[in-house]
Amino acid sequence: MKKSWGEKCFQIFNYTFLTVVAATMILPLLQLLAVSFSSPIPAESKKVFLFPVEFTLGTWKHLLQNEVLWRSFGVTIFITVVGTILSMLFTVLTAFPLSRREFLLKKPIMFAIVITMIFNAPMIPYFLTVRELGLMDSIWALIIPGLISTFNMIILRTFFMGIPSDIDDAAKIDGCNDFRLLFQIYLPLSKPVLATIGLFYAVGYWNSFQAAVLFLRDQTLWPLQMRLRGFFESPEALADVNLVMGDYDFNTITLKAATIIFATVPIVLVYPFLQKYFVKGAVLGSLKE
Amino acid sequence: MNADVIIKKKSLLRIYLENIKKYWMLYIMILPGVAFYIIFKYIPLFGSVIAFQDYQIFKGILNSPWVWFENFKFIFSYQDFYHVLRNTAIIAFYQLIFGFPAPIILALLFNEIRRMFFKRTVQTLFYLPHFLSWVVVGGIVFELLATGGIVNSIRGIFGAEPILFIQEENYFRTIVVISGIWKGVGWGTIIYLAAITAINPSLYEAAVIDGANRWKQIRYITLPLLFPTILVLFLLNIGNFLELGFDQIFNLLTPMTYSVGDIIETYVYRAGVLQGQFSVTTAIGLFQSIVGFILLYIFNRLARKSEQGLW
Repeated sequence: MKKSWGEKCFQIFNYTFLTVVAATMILPLLQLLAVSFSSPIPAESKKVFLFPVEFTLGTWKHLLQNEVLWRSFGVTIFITVVGTILSMLFTVLTAFPLSRREFLLKKPIMFAIVITMIFNAPMIPYFLTVRELGLMDSIWALIIPGLISTFNMIILRTFFMGIPSDIDDAAKIDGCNDFRLLFQIYLPLSKPVLATIGLFYAVGYWNSFQAAVLFLRDQTLWPLQMRLRGFFESPEALADVNLVMGDYDFNTITLKAATIIFATVPIVLVYPFLQKYFVKGAVLGSLKE
Repeated sequence: MNADVIIKKKSLLRIYLENIKKYWMLYIMILPGVAFYIIFKYIPLFGSVIAFQDYQIFKGILNSPWVWFENFKFIFSYQDFYHVLRNTAIIAFYQLIFGFPAPIILALLFNEIRRMFFKRTVQTLFYLPHFLSWVVVGGIVFELLATGGIVNSIRGIFGAEPILFIQEENYFRTIVVISGIWKGVGWGTIIYLAAITAINPSLYEAAVIDGANRWKQIRYITLPLLFPTILVLFLLNIGNFLELGFDQIFNLLTPMTYSVGDIIETYVYRAGVLQGQFSVTTAIGLFQSIVGFILLYIFNRLARKSEQGLW
């Protein structure tokens, strides 16, 4: 069919518009990357666009020698890895019984869980509860209070419910109990959705910020995001040299750029590997009951 | 049916006991999850009673004196409360008006792209900001809007004086809404694109034969069939209407913009967590939840008239 003039105009607008907006999604990061490899003077005078000006590794050398930053990196790696594993375990163990028709408490428990999605407890009672549990100034405060995301649990439960029940019948006849049914049959069949919610949890833990603001007074436990925020507030924290006096090949601007990249790139790198799964997975759990 | 009669004859307790005996593994499996929801969702929910107490940290909930509605009387006569509530409501309203339709429009635009390679690349780029933390996005926003930042450089070309946008009261809410859309719009399209994919292609074929152009196909096929998804997401949104997300505002707010940007969550954090005004700030938090629930209830009633409610 022949396209009308209006449709052609729209197509041109559409392609241009999407290209331009998509560019704004990646350009700020590319620019920060370029700044992190540039010398302080061009960085300061905003001459760096997409390529480093007066290339130098000075910023990165200084940054990667910063023990405080590595400590925060360690905290973030720990909460991301341990948190994701524990979250997956808790989520799987909750979603499976709730997906079984023969489990009598399925409806009441599901109802009680959905209520918590509608009625969020206010911040202060939540804070006091975590505090009463003795989790203040503990790395576990970043993991335990967020172990299950109801959204992820519902995604997984919906997926489990979609697995044909003929499979369980066959397995049960062969003497498979519920634990083996879950771990040896259901989980291997659920790899795409497990990858999806695993990614959701990992991103959540990697970027976790509010829990650290609420529960960590002790700076030695700060995860990367908190460290980054602290650095934005007082740049001297990462420079720890008198930048005015000496002749350095970095300054707070290049350091700031490098820290953002440092705190972002690892988690962004994970996502292309899992991309093929998550769109499908996210949709699955969307809103079905 | 014979089986039904037998079940009816048994007492409820016995049904449960037999179920537990037969499927005890399922009951063990769900224990950690149930414990999690009780400890971290229900205890805080019931802990909200401190809004009706003069809560003292050393006495705890059981021994703190009850003051019933004193805290609520206090917040309703309190200047700061109206101030923060106003900021929250205005930003929430803007986010609903501008932020909510954005992924729907974007999904429709994506859907008009026929070149698969282009579509996939652009979508991947649009998903990217979802993976950045608000700390990072805040840093990028501050950088772009700084006096020497890109936005001011472009304005400089046209001879305009640089403005430190992020510290200007007039721009703060705009920045919140735009940065929110920037970060979330691509991710938000996923669900709508799935709903569009589920539409039967023969509907479009029939429409084309009837002479419908692309705009008419969107108007009369895509949008009406997308409507149930839009409505459900709208209702979920309404339920959390006043919960804007702590991370975003906290990372964009400066003391210079408190007057327009201090929202319930940031205020509760400062006055409650940092200054220890537990009871009063819980009352504010409870008020926020109740408003959310009332709005959800009203809109759900309205939605049910078209037989599409959440419940």
